[in-house]
Amino acid sequence: MLSFVEETTLLLLDDDSGEFVDMPVSGFGTVIAGAALMDLAMHNRVDTDLEKLTVVSKEPTGDAILDDALAQLSQKPEDAEGMRILEAIDRVALKSQDYSAEALKRLVDCGILRQDSGRFLWMFRTRRYPVIDNREEQEVKARLRQILLTDEIPDPRDVVLICLVAACELMELILTPEELAAAEPRIEQLRKMDLIGQAVAKAVREIEFIFRYATSAA
Amino acid sequence: MDIVHEKDGDVVIFRLSGRLDSNAAASAEADLGAAVAGAPSLAIDLSGLDYISSAGLRVMLVLARKVQQASGKLALFGLQPAVRQVFTVSGFDTIISIQPDAAAALAHVR
Repeated sequence: MLSFVEETTLLLLDDDSGEFVDMPVSGFGTVIAGAALMDLAMHNRVDTDLEKLTVVSKEPTGDAILDDALAQLSQKPEDAEGMRILEAIDRVALKSQDYSAEALKRLVDCGILRQDSGRFLWMFRTRRYPVIDNREEQEVKARLRQILLTDEIPDPRDVVLICLVAACELMELILTPEELAAAEPRIEQLRKMDLIGQAVAKAVREIEFIFRYATSAA
Repeated sequence: MDIVHEKDGDVVIFRLSGRLDSNAAASAEADLGAAVAGAPSLAIDLSGLDYISSAGLRVMLVLARKVQQASGKLALFGLQPAVRQVFTVSGFDTIISIQPDAAAALAHVR
């Protein structure tokens, strides 16, 4: 099973060009950092509430990306008291380029991508998403469609993936335009359900607002 | 955190007290999840729950999913204001039924 950092790296890769999709660098870093924090939450290394994110265990996960992110959150003695989720995202985002580069390397090593003249291309022409876990051998895309288009209660991993896809504004990879329009309330419902996901979405919206303002003012 | 349970007819009533966070999540998930197989109608008294974190919310989500898959019903009741706020901000109150008291919760799941 891929980590959320690896899943997000795949999401942000444009299928045709083999390069990352066009988005502000700080937005890219925010989404990758959010994915790393969500991975750490699933590994029970961090926990969150409405006020803060707290490191609850410094035990290494065995994943170099996640262990580095964990170290970014444990630099100062006062970090033990926790920090605002946005501060945690900012800290981890500083290493996001390293994390996405490492994730690309892993995706090539495990045969999902191939590197071709500096571009990273899918090994198979038809985009196949890795399975979400061992219990259900469905593609992630099919699983997310099922969650988005019905009232099925998602599992926590589904929620995180939906948060990340929505934050990347790549929901059109999952749904048709008609489905997307009809599913907007459902998407809003589900993307609220992860507190790190909420913070990522807020940060990305702010970055995009600043980027648009700066672009229009130039 | 402490979890106790009792039966009221075909409904299992759980009472949670203390903090439902990353320390308590694994055992809470095991205790609550085990009940779904036997009696998929659950009412959970959270009046003694002082705190819930994201890890605790994940426990509730996994439980709600299992109950749905078992065609059962689930309702929470007695939430303290701080815990209620977490359910509201996270939108969990749109997925899981929250009732004002035990009678309403029992009526909902029957």
